[in-house]
Amino acid sequence: MSLYELLGTLETGFVFGLVALGAYLTFRILDFPDLTVEGSFPLGAAVCAALIVTLGWNPWLATGVAAVAGFAAGWTTAYLNVRFNILHILAGILLAISLYSINLRIMSGPNKPLLGVDTVFDTFGGFGVAGYIISPIFLGAVTLIVLIMVNLFLHTGWGIAMRAAGANPAMAQANGINVGSMKLFGVGLANAMTALAGALFAQIFGAADAYMGIGVIIVGLASVIVGTSLLPSRTILQATLACIVGAVLYRFAVALALNADFLGLRASDVQLVTAVLVALALIGQVSGLGIKRFFKTSKSK
Amino acid sequence: MIELKDIHVTFNKGTPLETTALRGVDFKVPTGQFVTVIGSNGAGKSTSLNVLAGIVPVERGTVTLGGEDITNWPVHKRARMISRVFQDPKIGTCEDLTILENFALAHGRTAPRGIRFAIERSMRAATAERVKVLGLGLENRLDDKVGLLSGGQRQAVSLLMATTGQSSVLLLDEHTAALDPKTADFVLETTRTIVERLGLTAVMVTHSMAQALSTGERTVMFHRGKIIFDASGKERAGMKVEDLLHLFKKTQGEELSDDNLLLG
Repeated sequence: MSLYELLGTLETGFVFGLVALGAYLTFRILDFPDLTVEGSFPLGAAVCAALIVTLGWNPWLATGVAAVAGFAAGWTTAYLNVRFNILHILAGILLAISLYSINLRIMSGPNKPLLGVDTVFDTFGGFGVAGYIISPIFLGAVTLIVLIMVNLFLHTGWGIAMRAAGANPAMAQANGINVGSMKLFGVGLANAMTALAGALFAQIFGAADAYMGIGVIIVGLASVIVGTSLLPSRTILQATLACIVGAVLYRFAVALALNADFLGLRASDVQLVTAVLVALALIGQVSGLGIKRFFKTSKSK
Repeated sequence: MIELKDIHVTFNKGTPLETTALRGVDFKVPTGQFVTVIGSNGAGKSTSLNVLAGIVPVERGTVTLGGEDITNWPVHKRARMISRVFQDPKIGTCEDLTILENFALAHGRTAPRGIRFAIERSMRAATAERVKVLGLGLENRLDDKVGLLSGGQRQAVSLLMATTGQSSVLLLDEHTAALDPKTADFVLETTRTIVERLGLTAVMVTHSMAQALSTGERTVMFHRGKIIFDASGKERAGMKVEDLLHLFKKTQGEELSDDNLLLG
């Protein structure tokens, strides 16, 4: 793996770290399996690209608005669940498929190239450092900032209320917490992070695409599972950090798997490799073959 | 004062499983009174408690608190004034959170939550002071997750949480039933002390007749969705379990045949 590939993998890893943080918030904190991300990731990319290219907006502002659009998508999924009792998974699927059409409208087509326009990465152009070095540093910083904010939030009054709403809804209600509102806000927040990731992803690769959401949920989940299987996750800080490390490690695993020429894998096999890696991580967790456990056993010997 | 007026509740209405749980219940608890509620399985005692808490919607009738109609208030809104301790210690506390975080949640029931840190230094000291009273050494374990505590410890924490803040009504839903006898006695004694000290209006559902007669100042008995017996003052003071059974036979024309209730 060359330095260029290494930094590229790190870059993607950090972007998907944001998706992983969103998945952690919905799946682990709120106990709300949310599939909206398959639509909100490309939504973020589409909104950002359309605002920059079509309306000539400032890329930073466009990226912020993309996150807000993601929040709205997540909020809508949670609303379908809370207000109309539609099963969370089904509500997420409904949003994801409707966002596919919405994204096509936003982009006025299946994709929107970001060629010849300024992106957030161009802000750092004057520093005299190559773009492929700056972008992973910038994305790492963004992911770290989001991680710190999520951590701080989950220790506030609202944050612990959200944790209780997901872990024990009956107890949360008995303590005056509006569980429905917590779901609306939490799922919205998770999708805002996913849309932010989508917007950054489009700016890295120079285009937004209606199909770029396929498999995002698996990548997000894989990152959470890989991270929390390998690293301690007793506290919120440990768990969120594990999600980001999981996202980066996961991208490396995919890159290495696809670089393993002797296996005969091609770039088009990426989804298969993704699914196999997640399955292996899950099997490891379920059957107690996790690396954490392995280390514990080794130490006790 | 909290009041149930002509409450009717039917579960699974319009299905083959339709069950009438409450048939016109009138139940008034004056401020500061500690009432025990007894009845066999399916009598309607827990349903009444759930109607007070807002968990079970009513088909007909009204629920009022301090003169205000709260019939259509959701559970979380009622929780600001009505707190409860569940039968299962696992439901009353959040095992993923620490003892301190659980108390912070309870504190937020009557105080605004907001985007400030949930745990302030003053809260740590105040919580340590409160749990110290239990004599379980929990004041040294405030940062332990509640999931690490035993059932009795969790129920004691749950009770303290329910009496945090300015809630005026405390609902106790067979809160000692899932505990071993020694721990149950401890939790019940703690309940008596707290209710008396804070002057709370309390409604305690129990399966044990002896417990019902020896706790609080009034006992109400449910049978087939109605209140069939309501005793307080001198009438209740000299009453024994046998008297209650005799009274049941006299008014209902049948023997009370619930082993759980008889043994309790």
